[in-house]
Amino acid sequence: MPPDGDGNVGHYYRFPDCFRRTANGVELRLPRWEGTILAELVRLIDGMLEPPPVDDPLEALVGLRDTAPPPPEDPALARLLPDPYPEDPLASGDFRRRRTDDALAHKRAAARRVLATLPGPGQALVLDEETAQDWLTTLNDLRLVLGTRLGITDDNYLDELGDLPSDDQRAPFIEMYDLLTNLVDNLVRALF
Amino acid sequence: MTATTVSPADIEEIDEALSDDRPWITIVWNDPINLMSYVTYVLQKLFGYDRPTAHKLMLDVHQKGRASVSSGTRDEMERDAARLHTYGLWATVRQD
Repeated sequence: MPPDGDGNVGHYYRFPDCFRRTANGVELRLPRWEGTILAELVRLIDGMLEPPPVDDPLEALVGLRDTAPPPPEDPALARLLPDPYPEDPLASGDFRRRRTDDALAHKRAAARRVLATLPGPGQALVLDEETAQDWLTTLNDLRLVLGTRLGITDDNYLDELGDLPSDDQRAPFIEMYDLLTNLVDNLVRALF
Repeated sequence: MTATTVSPADIEEIDEALSDDRPWITIVWNDPINLMSYVTYVLQKLFGYDRPTAHKLMLDVHQKGRASVSSGTRDEMERDAARLHTYGLWATVRQD
């Protein structure tokens, strides 16, 4: 795990706290750029979360799979749906058969709730407990997807990626990753 | 027809197969993306651990590479793993 940074985990610039704990719940404000970027990222991730195809029309109707969907080929999706039985492909397939659809449906619902509760510029929104959890898991899922795409393998990712030249293709994505890291850390501290 | 006899050894084998009720455990593995504060929070939220316990478990994951976070029946552990996956933690299930 990357080490905590006392609320300022990123290294590019100091982010204002977007999430604040108030008497009524967690209050969220988003600067305009951050809000725009987040909306784009959440839509992207929503696109990744469609259920794998079901061949049998009866299975599709009933919503229960008879056969295990294959493991996800996309490493970012695989990171969102880890294999609980890495040494037992049969058990792993059966787990996927029973649980993949629910897992994806839950993540889609969370992402859509985030899109529905994005405050506009200058707006403050109070999140109820469930919505706050949806924000937390969706922001973290975005980190998992971006982190996987960036090829982060080291707990100290800034060592790996902190000093890229500004024309490196990955540079804007590291900024987004930092933004998401700060948002997750900020929200966790508001929820503790 | 001769009667089928079952030896004591057969019975022992059958008993073992039916009652392999060693508990199952859910294991959380270290990963380079999830924050320490986040993992601590998730362990508190999902398992009701108090903060010092959750913090210690998180440190075990971080320093030892993994930690067992719950135990019970296989079904219960699969449910715990699925919940942990909802929160993006890397969880596996095995028999103790």
